[in-house]
Amino acid sequence: MKFLAVVRQVPDGESRLKIEGGKVDLSGVTMILDQMDEWAVEEVIRLQEKHGGESVVVALGPERFEDALRTALAMGIDRAIHLVAEGYLDPITQAEALAEVIRAEAPTLVFTGGQQADWDAQALGPALAEALGWPVVSWTTQIELEGEGHAKAKHDLDEGAEVVRVALPAVFTSQQGLNEPRYPTLPGIMKAKRKELKKIPVSLQSRVEILEQSIQERARLNRMIDGKDPVAAAHELVRLLHEEAKVI
Amino acid sequence: MILVVLEHDGQRLRKGALEVVARARQLGSLGPIAGVVIGENTQVVAQEAARYLPLVYAAEVGPYTAEKWAEAAYAAVQRSGARVVAATGGRQSRTWTARLAYKMKAGLLEDTLETSTDGQHILGTRYSYLNRVTERQKAPLPVVFTAKPNTTPPAEPQEGGRVEPLEVSLPAGVEVLERLSEQKKGVSLTEATVVVTGGRGLGSPEAFAGVEELAGVLGAAVGATRAVVDAGWRPYSEQVGQTGKTVQPNLYLALAVSGAVQHQAGMNKSKYIAAVNKDPEAPIFKIADYGIVGDVHQVLPALIEALKKLRD
Ligand SMILES: Cc1cc2nc3c(=O)[nH]c(=O)nc-3n(C[C@H](O)[C@H](O)[C@H](O)COP(=O)(O)OP(=O)(O)OC[C@H]3O[C@@H](n4cnc5c(N)ncnc54)[C@H](O)[C@@H]3O)c2cc1C
Ligand SMILES: Nc1ncnc2c1ncn2[C@@H]1O[C@H](COP(=O)(O)O)[C@@H](O)[C@H]1O
Repeated sequence: MKFLAVVRQVPDGESRLKIEGGKVDLSGVTMILDQMDEWAVEEVIRLQEKHGGESVVVALGPERFEDALRTALAMGIDRAIHLVAEGYLDPITQAEALAEVIRAEAPTLVFTGGQQADWDAQALGPALAEALGWPVVSWTTQIELEGEGHAKAKHDLDEGAEVVRVALPAVFTSQQGLNEPRYPTLPGIMKAKRKELKKIPVSLQSRVEILEQSIQERARLNRMIDGKDPVAAAHELVRLLHEEAKVI
Repeated sequence: MILVVLEHDGQRLRKGALEVVARARQLGSLGPIAGVVIGENTQVVAQEAARYLPLVYAAEVGPYTAEKWAEAAYAAVQRSGARVVAATGGRQSRTWTARLAYKMKAGLLEDTLETSTDGQHILGTRYSYLNRVTERQKAPLPVVFTAKPNTTPPAEPQEGGRVEPLEVSLPAGVEVLERLSEQKKGVSLTEATVVVTGGRGLGSPEAFAGVEELAGVLGAAVGATRAVVDAGWRPYSEQVGQTGKTVQPNLYLALAVSGAVQHQAGMNKSKYIAAVNKDPEAPIFKIADYGIVGDVHQVLPALIEALKKLRD
């Protein structure tokens, strides 16, 4: 069996973003392996630990993505493939390029993050499934293989959840609750440096163009009330919400 | 031609469906609008939809899977010749619209706040970077887009249209073994004008009785943080944040919520934010308009009392 994870490198959510020339400027921002992709990587490693075979991580993005791939390798993935491309690429275009490599790898299943923490896109997993002609299970919280051919999975819907059986190969996207990702250990990090990381330069044309990005943070009032006297504080808050904000 | 995929609950159209019709009408210059109702009981729902649209397809494909929805929408695209497809944003629709966009080799604009056209492209505005950045996107036709719920006033009925059944050859794919629905009570989280969210600092599931009472007085929906959902205190459907729901009410009241970035991703666009937290350094206060530094177990009952007084 072969288990494959697709990952992105994104800004650490805690880091401050800035805009330069109408675009997000990521210089100086701490970049990490997307936390939703981390769940995907962890699950792929667990599947391999349980069922044997091989684990592979694939990413499509600029040179700096190598760090995210090394993190996945340090967590325990066997080898990495990096499609190197600069700039913004919409998920449909990404899926086209990734599908080519993944088809050649012929994995048992593919796991990716439920939503990307930079482009807030949820489309990559399902678009990839379409490109491969496979079924998709999105927002997966539980997965179990049933022999070689099928998986049983639990996943979230708009309201509630469902348990499904799906023929493999299939694409899964991650959701919280799936697992608790392991931290890379020092020996893991050392080993990751020697693992295979294959680079394939690609040249792609995005269907979607980003015209302009801005940060429109609402100026907040930051009006603080001391709660030592809870009754007085509660009255003051209710008064402000009613008379000043006029929202109740 | 524009195709709108109309969300429904098996009986009636959802509010989001009428918002999408309104979005399609805003793109009027791209031609007539057709609708498609996918799922179960589609003939009945399509009759309701025909009060808004000149032509509505009914694709009776049974319970939801992403594969079936994408296939049915694609059949409607081929039948109508539509070059733009619009659907409501949501976890399920953002799954099948991605499949559809791939089938159409279309540009995909996810979760748009507003959309317009110059005749050759669709332009859309959306949030990115965990809801922190606002961006304008542009894609040449064909385009598939989803509209974030509660961003457009719902469409009004027009002169009646006709309903046509749509044959769809069903793809193999996912077999649903069990559906686990969650009890829904009170106001819907994504449509509420006031949301009261409880965090781990409430200390116990029992403490949510107070949160529910407060929400009741305010006519608000109850929200929860991931910590609370993980602990099993509240159902997942109430979770606000990156991996939960995104809300944008007039008032978001956060009780004993620390305000982690992943939580902020679901509520930072609220018009007013108020918070109660015993820690003056809690990150939630940085984005709050009003904050009480205090013990939620004392402040919450006092808030309920003060609100009841206001209501009288
Ligand atoms: C990829 C990813 C996705 C995530 N998605 C989400 C998401 O969608 N939604 C989400 O909420 N989280 C999400 N999280 C988790 C998030 O990072 C936080 O862990 C979570 O939001 C914390 O919940 P909390 O504020 O209830 O708990 P805590 O962080 O533990 O905060 C509790 C707060 O209560 C206060 N408090 C304690 N006692 C009292 C008292 N007596 N009176 C007043 N105040 C008190 C404390 O000062 C503290 O600020 C995600 C994390 C990851 C990695
Ligand atoms: N949500 C987004 N959609 C499109 N482009 C983006 C988005 N976020 C960032 N970009 C741009 O993509 C560039 C970063 O590209 P890269 O270094 O390839 O990640 C920056 O110039 C960003 O402004």
